[in-house]
Amino acid sequence: MVQIVISSAGAGGLAEWVLMELQGEIEARYSTGLAGNLLGDLHYTTEGIPVLIVGHHILYGKIIHLEKPFAVLVKHTPGEQDCDELGCKTGTQYLVTALIKNKILFKTRPKPIITNVPKKV
Amino acid sequence: MRIGPRRLAELGPLSVALRCPHPRPRARAAMRRTREEVDATLQIAKLKAAELLPVVHCLGFGPGAGAAVGDSCLLELEPALCQQLEAGHSLVIRGDKDEQAVLCSKDKTYDLRIADTSNMLLFIPGCKTPDQLKMEETHCNIIHTEIFGFSNNYWELRRCRPKLKKLKKLLMENIYEGPDSQKEKDSNHSKYTTKDLLDQIQASEEEIMTQLQVLNACEIEGYWRILDFDYEMKLLNHVTQLVDSESWSFDKVPLNPCLQELGPLEPEEMIEHCLKCYGKKYIEEGEVYFELSADKICRATAQMLLQNAVKFNLAEFQEVWQQSVPEGMITSLDQLKGLALVDRHSRPEIIFLLKVDDLPEDNQERFNSLFSLREKWTEEDIAPYIQDLCGEKQTIGALLTKYSRSSIQNGVKVYNSRRPIS
Repeated sequence: MVQIVISSAGAGGLAEWVLMELQGEIEARYSTGLAGNLLGDLHYTTEGIPVLIVGHHILYGKIIHLEKPFAVLVKHTPGEQDCDELGCKTGTQYLVTALIKNKILFKTRPKPIITNVPKKV
Repeated sequence: MRIGPRRLAELGPLSVALRCPHPRPRARAAMRRTREEVDATLQIAKLKAAELLPVVHCLGFGPGAGAAVGDSCLLELEPALCQQLEAGHSLVIRGDKDEQAVLCSKDKTYDLRIADTSNMLLFIPGCKTPDQLKMEETHCNIIHTEIFGFSNNYWELRRCRPKLKKLKKLLMENIYEGPDSQKEKDSNHSKYTTKDLLDQIQASEEEIMTQLQVLNACEIEGYWRILDFDYEMKLLNHVTQLVDSESWSFDKVPLNPCLQELGPLEPEEMIEHCLKCYGKKYIEEGEVYFELSADKICRATAQMLLQNAVKFNLAEFQEVWQQSVPEGMITSLDQLKGLALVDRHSRPEIIFLLKVDDLPEDNQERFNSLFSLREKWTEEDIAPYIQDLCGEKQTIGALLTKYSRSSIQNGVKVYNSRRPIS
């Protein structure tokens, strides 16, 4: 049988991240992939409403405190140098990198930003 | 003027609009947006800065985002599990190649499933909520935030019953018949330490420890062993006979005299183990005593009698049983729930051995085997044989509704199988 350990550094070592939930998919404009690219600007109104500007759209969302928080697990596949005290090779492990207790949910239809309103002829 | 294509491209047509009304600053090699650019975007989007908090998060995808999607994932936690992780405890996923994976904390077991969502979930370090921003006093008005990763699924946990049937199966491979048994001299037989059991059983450590106690298992030289029933009865008989000959009360059996008198016959650890299995330890005036359980002793005596035949005449059995238990103990059929079954429809009425831990672990298979034994069951009769199937908030009634069909027979509600049993 396999035992895969999910280890935690404890509260001191656990950051708190935020989850953002968007409907649909995000595509990179060019086929260079998403890594390294900007997504958009995230603002909050003075009332605490999240506003996200992505490309030429505005999305309004809400902050939800999660009843069931999430843990972000990062897989760690050991190399030759990973052994426990008995000198046995440890198997695949996951490390709890962060906890997520809040999410920003955008589920309303994005509003297009109109930049050029044609004048009436 | 040259315009950095990548940066503007991500902002789509906005970048085109920017070209027109405002003179473009000289393109920089760096990717980071400036506050001026953010404000320009706000203006075009017709958002009033006064209605917004001063801090903006400029979100971008980190270098690792999307690359190796399998390397990070989200695990949904119930609050108690979250607390355990915050305290530094680990969780373990356990399972064989052909088993469904479970996740274990130190005392609970959960089914592990992947939940898909049609939405995209982005996990973002360093992103603050409005409440957090309001609490912090900061002079910066721009936070460059890197999205660590994203996913459209997460791991979901549902509390389940630990898979403990395998525990008894493993320990039965090499039952303990006493130190003088030939088997003990032979080191070839399989033996399991606590660590070995954790490697084999899909359950949390605490659930395994509890079950070991239920099985009356004993840790001998670091290995967990189930006692051969006859050997266990031999130990029990030594104890009850000594109690009788010393005229002790069953509520107050002193440990040390027991060990002294019985030590020559059996190892002291085994005498003490027997007392722990059939009684409760307490200390009075510095001396250790055991309060023996009449229910447990009567039950074990019944098992000893019943295992020698397929079935017994109920009346005869009850007579022999009462005579076999230590004097002063009262037998009652209630003591045999989950161990034996009475058939009141046969003439004469009979009783036979039926141990719940010999029955299948899976719900449907359990009900199938019960219904093939007997077509119709009253709730009172079937309850002890399905009690262990109940989940965290499940009742016997709910199980019966799900797996059986009810009807009234002679004014009594009975349950039978939903489908024909071959």
